[in-house]
Amino acid sequence: MSYSLSQPGESLSRRILSPVPYKERFPAGRLKPPVGVIPGDVRSLPELHLYLEPDEASLPGIRLEALSAWIEKCIGDKDLAESIRTIVAARNNYVDGCLKVHKILGYRLDQARRVMGESA
Amino acid sequence: MTSSGYAGKILRLDLTNRKAIAIDTEPYRRWGGGHGMGSALFWDFCKDKTITDGRHPANVCCVATSPLCGTIVPSAGGRCEVVGVGVGQYPVSWFTRTNFGGRFSTMLKYAGWDAIVIEGKADSPVWIDIRNGQVQFRDARDLWGKDTWATQLEIRKRTGVKGGAKTRWQDLDALPGTDQDRESEAELGRTTQKPATLCIGPAGENQTGHGALIHDAGNGAGQGGLGAVWGSKNLKAISVLGTGGVKVHDPKTLLQARVVTKEKYVTNWQAPDFQAWTRIGGLPKPIVQAAPPTDERRPQSCQGCINGCRSRYNVGYGNESACQETFWYGPYVRKIAKNAAEDTEINLKGADIVQKYGINSFVLQPGLHWLEHLYEEGVLGPGRQIPSDLPWESMGTLDFAEKIVHALSTRTDIGADLAEGWVQAALKWGREEDLHTGALQFSYWGVPEHGYDPRAELEWGYGSLMGDRDTNTHCFNYIFTNVSAAFAFGKPLRIGAEEMVNLHVKKMAPYAKDRPEVLDYSDANMYSEAIAQIVRWQQHYCRFYKNSALFCDLKWPDFVNTNVPNLEGATASTDAGEQVFWNAVTGDNISFEDGIEIGRRIWNLDNAIWTLQGRHRDMVHFAPYLYKTVYKKGEVFPFFMWTCRDEKGQWHYRDLMGRSLDKAKVDEWKTIFYRLEGWDTKTGWPKRSTLEKMEMGFVADALERAGRLGEEAS
Repeated sequence: MSYSLSQPGESLSRRILSPVPYKERFPAGRLKPPVGVIPGDVRSLPELHLYLEPDEASLPGIRLEALSAWIEKCIGDKDLAESIRTIVAARNNYVDGCLKVHKILGYRLDQARRVMGESA
Repeated sequence: MTSSGYAGKILRLDLTNRKAIAIDTEPYRRWGGGHGMGSALFWDFCKDKTITDGRHPANVCCVATSPLCGTIVPSAGGRCEVVGVGVGQYPVSWFTRTNFGGRFSTMLKYAGWDAIVIEGKADSPVWIDIRNGQVQFRDARDLWGKDTWATQLEIRKRTGVKGGAKTRWQDLDALPGTDQDRESEAELGRTTQKPATLCIGPAGENQTGHGALIHDAGNGAGQGGLGAVWGSKNLKAISVLGTGGVKVHDPKTLLQARVVTKEKYVTNWQAPDFQAWTRIGGLPKPIVQAAPPTDERRPQSCQGCINGCRSRYNVGYGNESACQETFWYGPYVRKIAKNAAEDTEINLKGADIVQKYGINSFVLQPGLHWLEHLYEEGVLGPGRQIPSDLPWESMGTLDFAEKIVHALSTRTDIGADLAEGWVQAALKWGREEDLHTGALQFSYWGVPEHGYDPRAELEWGYGSLMGDRDTNTHCFNYIFTNVSAAFAFGKPLRIGAEEMVNLHVKKMAPYAKDRPEVLDYSDANMYSEAIAQIVRWQQHYCRFYKNSALFCDLKWPDFVNTNVPNLEGATASTDAGEQVFWNAVTGDNISFEDGIEIGRRIWNLDNAIWTLQGRHRDMVHFAPYLYKTVYKKGEVFPFFMWTCRDEKGQWHYRDLMGRSLDKAKVDEWKTIFYRLEGWDTKTGWPKRSTLEKMEMGFVADALERAGRLGEEAS
């Protein structure tokens, strides 16, 4: 799938691939029966991408509505934030939203890795 | 004497004098088995029931089976209960319980024993070699320091060598023995079985509060710090090899009930229904999520179980670990993992680490979250207020996992303070504020929040508070998980809220039968008499059926089953209910409600022990953060769905996030609970009249002598 995300520059690509400070972490739990809800957080977009990867035995637990603001403020990627805002607003349900965010994140990470010369 | 389901003998191990004594099971039969039997044995053989640290030499630890162990009762034959005063709780360590699966309880029954009572303290490390009726105390000095897997491997080698014993078999001060008892070593015959061993690792040896008991690769009895109790007694391991069997009173009925279970409740393997709502009959699918390269696996289960919720993997790690231990490290691993395969590999190897050290990984789930907070805030680390030389910057790596578990198990680095309890460490480090803000989420009795927040899931929170530890009883919590998952996927709910509660309360005799309001967790009902009744039902049900008869916590009770037209689960049913299996094995003729009543009796005995230990209602409260902060919506999951009634009495699934507990109202709720239990509402102590109605006058006598009997007028 292609998205209307322009290629990030080197500076933004570095931020896309780097963790943010602890104080800027984004809360991210996980529902894992029978243990219950496990607290946690994410601090980078690569981590968020791995966190949202579909898993048949658990579900991610994040506030999708707050994600765009975090990406814009803490990562500095306004284009991605706007795209995710649109995806979240149009989602059919929570899991659908998570899956679509996972896909666009993968796309954005590939873009950033190409800019940085990493293998996608 | 022997009777159906029971081996007939209980083994007392006097570690101080290295003497083994056999006593008759019969006087303890009224307590069922497992926890009930263990509590009664503790009551009889612990001479000082005021102790509040399980490492005290007077502590008595009981390992107890049930009549169902070693039989084909589905999801019940392989559990084993351990009781005794625990270690590391706050403000005191209560008489407590823990439980594990596998094949130890089966082997113990096959060797001719219903339970083991561990008393005193050996003057140097020992392990116990049980082969049928013969019991030997063996030198464990060369096993001390070994991890739990190495210990078990070494014991297998030693028990496999005929004539390897260097001391004589103990003479049992026994009852007139069975033929089995009189067998000499040479007459034991041969078996292709390997012994079942329960042992401790470094965490237990060093008497840390998170010391667990481990059996085989992945069966752990973690809560309560009973591993530390074994360490304090210089007991490294108990190995059992049995060649006998279990007498079943009515094999035909037992087989019929098992077949009914398969036909009515088990998912069809040829056409599986992945949306099925049933507990007993899920596919033999591992609980743990595994990604490549570990997707090649075969199910592994406890003795007699039809489910197989654990795995053995082609890659050779993570074997038999099934639950929380497989992702205690998960939130940190994904910070460094390059992909899902690496994520899985580190998590499963992390499970192996905690199993080998013999550590209760549950404390690490919220515990590590707190330690990370302290590190990132600049409080914990090299040269900081809380000094620690662990490589905190590499959290998420396998190396860090090994190092933190090593420190916690060996009392090194911050492990020295945490060994005595996490809340105790917080207070020592001047971090009391973290109990108020929720930075340290240890909700009750100094133990961690489980994943079912007490501000939302009421029976879990209240049940833990009125008991002795995190209740860890999954009787109702699938309402949250299944309904929330359906909402998350936008799927229509197969069963509406009103029908859901009615399916439950139909089976919740006697206190909650046909009282749907017990499952109304709305704000308006959360401190009510109805909620007290569901907590009572859960505690009494679990004390007998789960903790004593040893039905698996993850499979029973079975309230709802979408494989049958009327949607009714197996619990309390006349063809495959819990009491059907119990009666078929034992020859008893109890009703489902009779089992609940036995559970009430056991629950009252436990409360009497806690009372002697010093419990008073003023001590019974949640950690401050549960009163002072709200369960923040969306921070761990978007919603916590549960059955609720609205102002008009209509049932809905509603989100319970966004609320806190009111301390004054919780206190009023305690009064309701004590009144319903027939306990003194001013103190929470048992009353003579309540105890005597249950033929427990001897307990009332002991409480009266101690000046801790509840007042009748209260």
